[in-house]
Amino acid sequence: MTATAPLVLVVEDEAQMTRFLRAALESHGYRFVEARTAKEALAICTAQAPELILMDLGLPDGDGIELTRRIREWSQTPIIVLSARGRESDKVDALDAGADDYVTKPFGVSELLARMRVALRHARRGAATESPVLDAGPLRIDLARRVVTLDGAEVHLTPIEYRLLALLAQNADRVLTHQFMLREVWGAGHSHQPHYLRVYMATLRRKIERDPSHPKLLHTEQGVGYRLKIEPESPLIKS
Amino acid sequence: MLGALEACALVSASIAIGILGRPKLAQPDVVMLFVLAIMVVAVRHSRALALFAAALSVAAYDFFFVPPFHTFAVDELRNLLTFAMLFALAVVLSTLNERARKSERAAADARLKASTEEMKSTLLSAVSHDMRTPLAAITGAATTLRDNESLSTAQRRELVETVCEEAERMERVVRNLLDMTRLQSGALAVAREWIPVEEMIGSALVRLDRALAGRAITTHIPEDLPMVEVDPVLVEQVLINLLENAAKYTPAQSPIDLSARRTDTGVELVVADRGPGIAPEELSLVFEKFYRGASARPGGVGLGLAISRGIIEAHGGSLFARARPHGGAEFVVELPVSDKRPSLPPELSTLSERRAP
Repeated sequence: MTATAPLVLVVEDEAQMTRFLRAALESHGYRFVEARTAKEALAICTAQAPELILMDLGLPDGDGIELTRRIREWSQTPIIVLSARGRESDKVDALDAGADDYVTKPFGVSELLARMRVALRHARRGAATESPVLDAGPLRIDLARRVVTLDGAEVHLTPIEYRLLALLAQNADRVLTHQFMLREVWGAGHSHQPHYLRVYMATLRRKIERDPSHPKLLHTEQGVGYRLKIEPESPLIKS
Repeated sequence: MLGALEACALVSASIAIGILGRPKLAQPDVVMLFVLAIMVVAVRHSRALALFAAALSVAAYDFFFVPPFHTFAVDELRNLLTFAMLFALAVVLSTLNERARKSERAAADARLKASTEEMKSTLLSAVSHDMRTPLAAITGAATTLRDNESLSTAQRRELVETVCEEAERMERVVRNLLDMTRLQSGALAVAREWIPVEEMIGSALVRLDRALAGRAITTHIPEDLPMVEVDPVLVEQVLINLLENAAKYTPAQSPIDLSARRTDTGVELVVADRGPGIAPEELSLVFEKFYRGASARPGGVGLGLAISRGIIEAHGGSLFARARPHGGAEFVVELPVSDKRPSLPPELSTLSERRAP
């Protein structure tokens, strides 16, 4: 079993954090390798090809955002950033540099493990070509037929609402930054209009959330972006 | 420069009044006019300006009111004495005034220093108490877990729970202290963006899902509420603080109501609870830094509301508390809304321009 357990590279210079992460990850069936500096991290990435990287943004020899960018030049290994509260712009920068997700310190292990599962799932799925249907509680999104139903009844979405929802569904449980969503849905020219996105997300919530002022599916990550939240235990993509 | 102009204006006014009132005003009356002009300048400005006003007054008085008129010649010794008195008046008054100003400045410095010192010591005692208590609990629980092999599963769980809860408590304390420091050092940058109120309320509720579990939370947000231009991260933090407070000071099952409405000047958000309420004399005190009310719960430093008010005021709004009709407390956030509206695609009119009928 050990041979097939995913190898996780932890890039972190604080010994207490590394110690806690080692215990948490190994007890949940992951293999663990650590790097204290960006240089070490790059060396391990090439030599051992970890399946997932947990990266602290504050490293002694250069910052994690730059390291993320360098790793992305040649590798698609999922990267989850460990970041401090109140540094929303750092999170956005890391995500825009190619990180897959982030957790805010201090975080609970269950939250971290959930993010890791999602990142690994997306990485392993790769470019799925089969017609995916995604269930999120009462909501069903059929990406092939372009049909969205809520408790079995079809929801009528405008083309932009559908594109937003489809984008979030293809990245279920992952955070998507405002810039990324604006670029994907409106094209590069409109990335300066973040309130467009907010207004469409509001109309979308009114159509698919039971209580749009207390959303269960379309979560706002304030200052960062949006996340389509799916029951953690439910099967995600069915063929 | 302005002071010099003011001196000229006052002396000119004295001359004008003296000339206009000539039939009725005697020479001593005219002198009093100049005395008044010099006094005003001496009290309001520096000694140099007071002397300047005195010199102007003497020249004017001599020129217009001392015979022979319209010359600077003086034919009576008495008048020279008057001139000297005017100069002396300028010197004495401005000296007194400077002394008063100096002691005022010193008092203000002392007050500032005292309040900084007081702030520091309150901060220290609050921090040491509020950090030490959870730290003691964590250390106690963790060492018991490490050293005592014979604990039952239930006992172990209990201790682990303690560690988690107390760590969260410390996190709150540190978070508040950091926010307060940022607020006080003026490092709080307000990054305004247009955002629907509903989205901020929604994300605050989602972040507090665990803390508010088991409570009936109702939200009332009109569909045609205009968007607000605020820093979403900061205003969400205020909503979180208010909701956490409501949860902390009311019984576990007690409902919390969130509402928003348009007012004449902006948008008002209200977090209302059905708890014991706030005593009338404490309604404004609860926003003071480090204020810990009679009913305060352990686990806070008394900074949450002070921070929240600071954030809302940085947006040009206001935050206050009031008694809720039929029991409980209400915290009201007022955010100004300008006439400016963001441009939106036409199909989205419902969220932007549509007004209540």
